[in-house]
Amino acid sequence: MYRKQSFAILAAVMVLVLATFAAAETNRKEFHFKVGRRASISIINQYGPISVKPGPGKHVTVTATLYSDKVEIDQSKSGKRVSINSHLLEGADATTGRVDYEVLVPGDTNVTLRSTTGPLHVERLYGDVILEGNTALVDVRDVSSGHVRIKTLNGAITLTNVSDAHVEITSVGGDVALNAVNGSLVHVNSSSGKIHYDGDFGEAGDYSLTSHSGDIEAIAPSYASIDVVARSVQGKVENDFPLLPEHTSFVTRAGSAFAGTMGKAASSVKLLSFSGKIHLKKR
Amino acid sequence: MTCEEFERVLPELEGGHSIEQEAHLKSCSACSDLVRDLNAISQQARHLQGSEEPSPWVWNSIEVSLRQEGLISQPQPERARTLAPLLGWKLRWMVPLAAAFLIVFGVLLHERGGVQRDLAKQTTPPAGVVTADLVTSQEDEQLLNTVAARTPSMRDAYEANLRSVNAYIRDAKQSADSNPNDEIAQQYLMNAYEQKAMVYEMALDRSLP
Repeated sequence: MYRKQSFAILAAVMVLVLATFAAAETNRKEFHFKVGRRASISIINQYGPISVKPGPGKHVTVTATLYSDKVEIDQSKSGKRVSINSHLLEGADATTGRVDYEVLVPGDTNVTLRSTTGPLHVERLYGDVILEGNTALVDVRDVSSGHVRIKTLNGAITLTNVSDAHVEITSVGGDVALNAVNGSLVHVNSSSGKIHYDGDFGEAGDYSLTSHSGDIEAIAPSYASIDVVARSVQGKVENDFPLLPEHTSFVTRAGSAFAGTMGKAASSVKLLSFSGKIHLKKR
Repeated sequence: MTCEEFERVLPELEGGHSIEQEAHLKSCSACSDLVRDLNAISQQARHLQGSEEPSPWVWNSIEVSLRQEGLISQPQPERARTLAPLLGWKLRWMVPLAAAFLIVFGVLLHERGGVQRDLAKQTTPPAGVVTADLVTSQEDEQLLNTVAARTPSMRDAYEANLRSVNAYIRDAKQSADSNPNDEIAQQYLMNAYEQKAMVYEMALDRSLP
């Protein structure tokens, strides 16, 4: 009797789950492309997340989940270039026009993603990464040896463990967080968003963290080797490190500007803000 | 030289007279009185303030006199007429007086406009303070209209972003102008324009709403 009751309950649950799936009206599509070395993939998706990860072999696998029939997928391949576009039909909005993308690509693939809402996620690649979003949250991790270029209007940007890369980030109001990011060039240009850097500034790199009104916080270890200048026209500037003075035309001013070197001054670091606070912190 | 000939060249005289004109002035009391009156009026006109501009009654009475003498009538659009020839020699002295009044009035208007501009400058917030109501330019308005036509819901977001970057550009410009040799001030300005270029690029990108 007890067994019969358990079976009945399980059956009821299964019916409910299946009904839920049926009611969701999602449509799942999968595309496969065979590509060679250094392939390129471009995905334009107005509404919905895009996640790109490395996959096996020399194949690009795109899994798209469509949330209504008011959006369709336009896809094409020309040589090593794959193009995916969420084509919004008449009457589509942020809900009905949503498509979720999960993409597997070879590790050396150059990736270009554009979305209004996002979020955008890229991990464990070593090709070029170009990401654009209006309010999209951007998350890039474990990427190396390529160009990383990110533009958002208000979407927050997080980079984690990005090494030997050429990084350029521009955001009007999105906060930018860089954790263990180093490379030959790391430039962040923000208007009102905050900039947070936590890393050692690598070696022989050009680091520029600039904002108009956003605060800048840079956390570095005591062994960091940097030639640093920091200035805020209106805001407060703090430094936790004993810097060695250097011969420079940069005018230092207690509380609003400092300059100096640490270690062998391997990397150039500029921390500049107009009215935001700047703090170079010791980890 | 007759009086008629003298009156014809009178408007062209600028304090200098030919020998012939000098001789006529010495021999003709009417013309010399006229020249003396004109000189006195033009000197006095320089001292007139804007508040002393003649009342409309003065202009009305002039118009009435002119009509009574038959010197002016209903406007005739097929022929462009200048006022001076219509006035006759008796009232030509009004022309430089009217010109002096107009010049004084124009100067006063310009000065008042300058004061208003100075007041506006004084109320401009200091560098580094983001002004929420920073005015967007005509190009910015066109961009916002383009965005609104495509995706109305995005207009407000783009407008807020434009105000933010315009404040950045304004502060960066002030800094660069104040410190033209400062490399960092120049970098601020480039960064600010880069921000604005990005906003325009994303707004006009037809692949995204």
